[in-house]
Formats: sequence, structure tokens, C-alpha cells
Amino acid sequence: MNQPAVSATPSKKTAPSILEFLYKHGTLLAILAVIAYFGITQDRFFTYENFSDILRSISIVTLVAIGITFSLIVDGFDLSVGSTVSLATIASAAALVLYRQEIFVTLLVPLLLGVAVGLLNSLLIVKFKLPDLLATLATMYAINGVQLTYTKGFSIYNDMPLPDGGTAPGKFIPSFLFIGQGELFGVPFSVLLMLFVVIAAHLFLTYTKPGRLFYLTGENREAARLSGIPVNRYRTYAYVISGFFAALGGIVLASRIGTGQVSAGASFLMDGVAAAYIGFSVFGAGKPNVIGTLFGSILMGVLLNGLTMANVPYYAQDIIKGAILVGALALSHWQKK
Amino acid sequence: MNGLSMRGMEKSFGAVRVLDGVDFDVRPGEVHALLGMNGAGKSTLMNMLAGAISPDAGTIAIDGAPCAFSSPFDAKRAGIGFVVQEVDTALFPGLSVYENIAADELARATQRPIRSLRQEKERAAALLRRVGLSIPPTKLVRDCSLHEKQLIVLAKVLSSDARYIILDEPTAALSEAETKRLFAIIHELKQQGVGFIYISHKLKEVQEIADRLTILRDGRVVYHGAAGSLSLEDIVLHMTGTKRRTSANQARTYGGDIAFAARGITIDKTGTTIDLYAHRGEIVGIAGLVGAGKTELAESLIAHRKTAGEWEIEGRRYVFSSPYEAIAAGVCLIPEERRKQGLFLPESVRANITVRLLSRLARWQWIKRAQEAEAANALVRSLGIHPPSSATAVRHLSGGNQQKVVIGKWLNTNARVFLFDEPTKGIDVHAKQDVFAIIRSLADEGKTVLYFSSECQELLDICDTIYVMVDGRLLARLPAAELTYEQLVYYCSGGEIDEPAGRFRDAVEKNGTVYS
Repeated sequence: MNQPAVSATPSKKTAPSILEFLYKHGTLLAILAVIAYFGITQDRFFTYENFSDILRSISIVTLVAIGITFSLIVDGFDLSVGSTVSLATIASAAALVLYRQEIFVTLLVPLLLGVAVGLLNSLLIVKFKLPDLLATLATMYAINGVQLTYTKGFSIYNDMPLPDGGTAPGKFIPSFLFIGQGELFGVPFSVLLMLFVVIAAHLFLTYTKPGRLFYLTGENREAARLSGIPVNRYRTYAYVISGFFAALGGIVLASRIGTGQVSAGASFLMDGVAAAYIGFSVFGAGKPNVIGTLFGSILMGVLLNGLTMANVPYYAQDIIKGAILVGALALSHWQKK
Repeated sequence: MNGLSMRGMEKSFGAVRVLDGVDFDVRPGEVHALLGMNGAGKSTLMNMLAGAISPDAGTIAIDGAPCAFSSPFDAKRAGIGFVVQEVDTALFPGLSVYENIAADELARATQRPIRSLRQEKERAAALLRRVGLSIPPTKLVRDCSLHEKQLIVLAKVLSSDARYIILDEPTAALSEAETKRLFAIIHELKQQGVGFIYISHKLKEVQEIADRLTILRDGRVVYHGAAGSLSLEDIVLHMTGTKRRTSANQARTYGGDIAFAARGITIDKTGTTIDLYAHRGEIVGIAGLVGAGKTELAESLIAHRKTAGEWEIEGRRYVFSSPYEAIAAGVCLIPEERRKQGLFLPESVRANITVRLLSRLARWQWIKRAQEAEAANALVRSLGIHPPSSATAVRHLSGGNQQKVVIGKWLNTNARVFLFDEPTKGIDVHAKQDVFAIIRSLADEGKTVLYFSSECQELLDICDTIYVMVDGRLLARLPAAELTYEQLVYYCSGGEIDEPAGRFRDAVEKNGTVYS
């Protein structure tokens, strides 16, 4: 299923050209293989509802993974995205339910919080020169603590009881719920949002001057600095963009489930990282790229959907997620050599 | 026979004969200096002695008994110690001084599993006293100064009972006072019967410390004898031979106005301050040995390193705190470490060469691809980059072509001051001529060029004016046309610059046949 990449490794000595082919097209083959497998074994797999469901769940992962892709492009890493998703989910739910805000503030507050997390990360990494993994590990914990402290560990939902005895004044308004649950021309709005972001980010990174400079900064920071590129500025932008997209993912998540669940974003870190690393190998790009990231999250989404249908429990799915990430890392490492 | 002797040592790498029947010996209690230009064969000879390279022919004997070293361990056991130039590579920074000194013992298979820390510390303290170092044995190596690290390596070498010690450029990074202290320790150890092989380009120091000299040139011994009988000038002439051209540079003309000046530029590594200036269209060389601080100066001039000072470019004064600002003002650096500092290896030639042109090639930040390809192809053609396609990945190019890409990214930009740091390192003769042609045409266009190099002949070939750099200081600003190769080598090696420029011409005329 997801195995061609991994199982190909032993044949490396005998057939390098096959491996080359698998490297370039392995992700696509894996997606097709997974779809075919579940299509044959699961009756309900090939239904419009199921595909719509897969795409909805992919849309959030893809948004988060695009943020991670930006941090990878500048040769950084952002572990705090999962916590940022949770924070944005809680923030938008709180704005709606506790403070009776309209759509504008409800969207603005979580996005600003996402940008703030990005600025905090870049302060630690770019200014104080902490290692990116450790700095974002710290912010991941701190941000998770912030959203837990704010909610005291309780979820935020319509008509929830308040400590003073009354019920919450606001509720999830339809315009907000439309983001995660509505459809345009029969396509879920969140999927359209994802496609728009994918295309915009792809065009930005491939065809614009700042996009080029993001890549150059990540490929050789010293050469970039000696070429007059303000590398610290671009690294800061990357973490801010990462925080922004994580927050956007959090908004879509809150809208989709219609409540503010605490720590709801935690699982998106692993899915997003796996998607971004799988993306390295799509079409043999050999570097982080948005189109690859999209295919990576499609692979993850289809696989997890199928496994759920096949009654594989969610905790066992983590084993498969881990295995996929190892496979993707092995592939990108092999490509570098 | 008493002492260490090497007879008829020969070694070829491929078709290149690096050593051609070299004899060399050291007696206990003497300092024998081994001299020669880069590529003369010094390192190869010493690596044979240290067991890192096996000779094609020749014998090594200690006290008359022949010995063959098949590994560095054999050499160590036979009593040969090597204090390498980069002492950091020989030490464990996170361990204490005594643990470092005991490290070799630990690696031995016969070592008892339980060690006495007290004994180890006492032993280390005794060895440290022997090398004149008064630091506690428990100090971490990463907290030690470079001078201290060097002596720790020396102590480590002594701990394995080395009787013959190779010192490779031991003073390259030391201050004058530290050098004096090192020499005092060498004298002390000489009294105890240790024999030293001393490799250095700092000829004045060699004269001070060495008892005997052996000078290599092109893999042969060209001089062997007592150190006192040879003047500094004669040493340089032996090292260089006399068949070198003086300045092959056809007289260039350049502007009379000062286009670039830097005042009070500090170099963090050496703690020195530099002033320099250059005229419009002038090619100014910075000549100095490896370790003189040239790269540090170049990187300070573009504010890539922490520095202070003041810049003046075509009459305007600047203070730079990052390369971004320096580049905006028209300074650019072609760095020494091309692949590490100059190139985006996974990218195409096009992306590498247009990085400074993107603002011009983009509209509303959108890169106009056709124009970008056109600009890149034009540069590829005019620089003669091979293969002649801007779509090639730059990592597939040869060193010379990669260098052209690094230079090419600054052509057609607002760069007015070009800093070239060892631009011919690792490129072939043909590419070197191309690079020289590019540099000359830049200067002819009125750009100012600073050329940092340790290759004296190159400096004379390309430069109009040459600064001599020694130990982080610029000692003199000399017109290249009045310099000979030997003079320049002599000055860079620490020779006095107060004599009239003609001294070597006379020496060559008098003794010409002797050295050739």
C-alpha cells in the first residue's frame, strides 16, 4: 500500500533506475495503490460522501502542512503548529460563544494569534539563535498550556454553562460554520479554500522574487547572506507564515466541528510534517514544495480514511503514520546522496 | 647512527612526482627546520614519518635500526610525535585537559579497565609543567586559548614518550609573546634530548629557533646545512629558485582618485586594525601567508564578520553592520570557500547567476522568466561558462566554471568594489587565465579590485599595487612593478621592508647560477 518506497530499498544495488522511477513517481503510485486497495476491500470507499469527507479532512492538514513547508524551505522547522491550531480553534470559539463577536473579529483574532506565535518563534530562533527544533518544542508546550489555561481544560460550545451560573451569550454563527461545513457549487468550501491556498502558495514560491529568495535562504544561508539577501528577514517571514497557516487551519477545524475542543490540533503536527516530507519526493523535486505537500496530505488522508473504514483503531493508525514519515525521510535522504 | 634518518624517500601521486629521493635526518636535542614553498613536498615527507602515507621507495631508521610504519600508531610507538597545525582537530573540547592527555593511553587495548583519576591528574600536571603551562588539569579544553591548546597537544605527544616531534606551523596563530614562550619551551625540551622538526613559513622565526635547515623545492632537497650560515634572502632564493619571472604585469593605468578606502577596520580573530585604500580601476593585492588574516579582512570589509570601522566609497562615507548594507553600497565578495559560501548547489546556473538581478527582472515581484533566461544566457556566453546552458545544475560544473558563476552574479549589478578572496583556489590553469581576464576588464571599466592571495606569483601577475599582510597587519603598500617574486615571498615571511627594493635583483645577478 504505502510500501513501494520502503520495500524498494533492498533492490537498490540491482536496479537503480527502478528506484529512480519509484522516487519520482512513488508517491503517486502509492496514492493510486492505496485507493485501489481500499476501493476493492471497502464497499463504501468509492462514494461521493466518502471522497468529500476525505477532502474535508485533508483541507486542514494541507493548510498546516503548507506552513511547515515554508519553515522547511528556509531550512528551519516548526513544531509549534499543532498547538497553534488548538489555540486558534479555542480563540475563534471563544470569540463567538463567550464574546458574541461577528465573523470579522472571529477570524481576525486567531489569525493574529498565529502571527504572534510565528513572531515569537522567530525571535527565539533568528534573534536569540536557539536551535529551531528546541525553540519550537518549547513554544509548542507553552502555547498548548496557554489554551488549556484559558479554557481551564473545558471545551467551548453553544449554550455552555458559565461559572457565574448563566449560559454563554453567543453561539457558532452560520457564516462561520460555512467555512468548514458549507458547500459552493457542490464542493466543500474548505476544499476550495485549500485549493486556493495551494495554488497561490505554489505560484508565489515558484514564480516570484520573494519565493526564490525563500529557497535560496534555505539552500545556503551563508551564500545567501553574502549575496545580499536579508536572510534573517526571510526566516522571520517563514515562521510567521507557518503560524498564520496553522491558525487558518485552526479556524477551519473549529468551524467543521462546531465547538472549541481543547488540544484539538495536536494530531495535525505529525500529519503535516509527514505530508511536507512526502512532498519532497513528488515528481523528484528533492526539496520542500507546495504541490508535493498537497499530494503528501492526500496520501495521508486517503490512507487514514481507509484504515478507519477497515476498523483499524486510531491508536494503531499512529504506527502507520510513523512508518510513513520514516519512509519519506529515508527517501529524501537517499535523494540527497 | 644516533638519531632519526630518512634516506632516498620517493613518492608519486598518479603521474606527479611529489618526492624525488629526499634525505632528511634529526638528531636528539636539535631543531631541524624543513622549509619550502607550498607543494614542495614537506607535508608528504612528514606524513610518511607520521605513518599516514607509505613511501614508494626509501627507508626510515631510528638509531640505526630500520623501521616501517604502516599506521600512525606504529609511528607513535616508535617515538614520533606530530603537533598538527589545526590543534583543534587533535583535542576533545568537552573533556578536561588531563582526560585529553590520557586519551591515547585509554585507546590502548592493554589498558586496565579501572583507572586512577588521581594518578592521571598528577601525571598530567607533571607533563603540563614540562611544557611550561600553569593551568589546572581539570580545566575544560574548550575554555583554553589557542596557545594553551597547542601546548596541551605537545604535552599529549610527550606523554607517549615521543623523542622526535614534528611541529607544523606552530606559530601561525600565535602572538609574538606566545611565540617567545613556545620557543623557550622548545629550548627546554631540547636540553632533555628531544629532537624537533620545525615547519614554518615565518622565516625570521625559523632563523631564531632552528639549528639546521633543509630546504625542499619540487620534491628535492636544494639546501641542507647549518641555519646560521644562510641569510634570509638566501633562504628565499633557495625556496623559490631564480627562474621565476618578476612581474609579468603589463603596465596598466588607473585613476588618480581614491575610489575605496577603509579606516580602522578591526579583525576580530587577530585583534588588529587595518587601514587601506584603492584608486578607481586599480587592482590592489593583499599578500600574506595562510593564517595571516586575509580571509578575515575580506569578510570584515563586507561586514560578514563582527567588525568596526569606517568605509568610504567614491567620496561617500559608510558604516556597515551587515553584508546587506555593504552590498547595497556596491561592495561585493567572491569568497574563498566557493561551494560553501558562494553557490546555491541544488539550483541551476540561472538561479545562481541572476540572484542580484531579480529586482530588475521582476515586475510586481513576478519574475519574468524569459528575460531571466536571456540575462543568464548572456552572462554564460560572455563568461565562457561550460556547458553553455544556464539550465544546468551548478553542482555539476567544474571548479573553474563554478567560480565564473560566483563572479558572474556581480557583473551587471551596481557593484563597484570587488573583493576576490583566493579566487584561483582549486581551478585549472585555463580557468585561471579567464578569471584574470575578467578581473582586468572589471578594473578597466573603472571598478576597484582587491585581490587576496597567498600565491605571490599570481599577485605579481594581476595586481598594480600590493599590500603585505603579516599577522593581521598591513605592513606596506608597494607598487607591483617594482617587486620581485623573491622579495614578496621574503616580505610575507616576515622579512624587513626597510631596504631599497633592488636587493633581490642584485642577489640574483650575483648568485644566479648557484640557485637555478
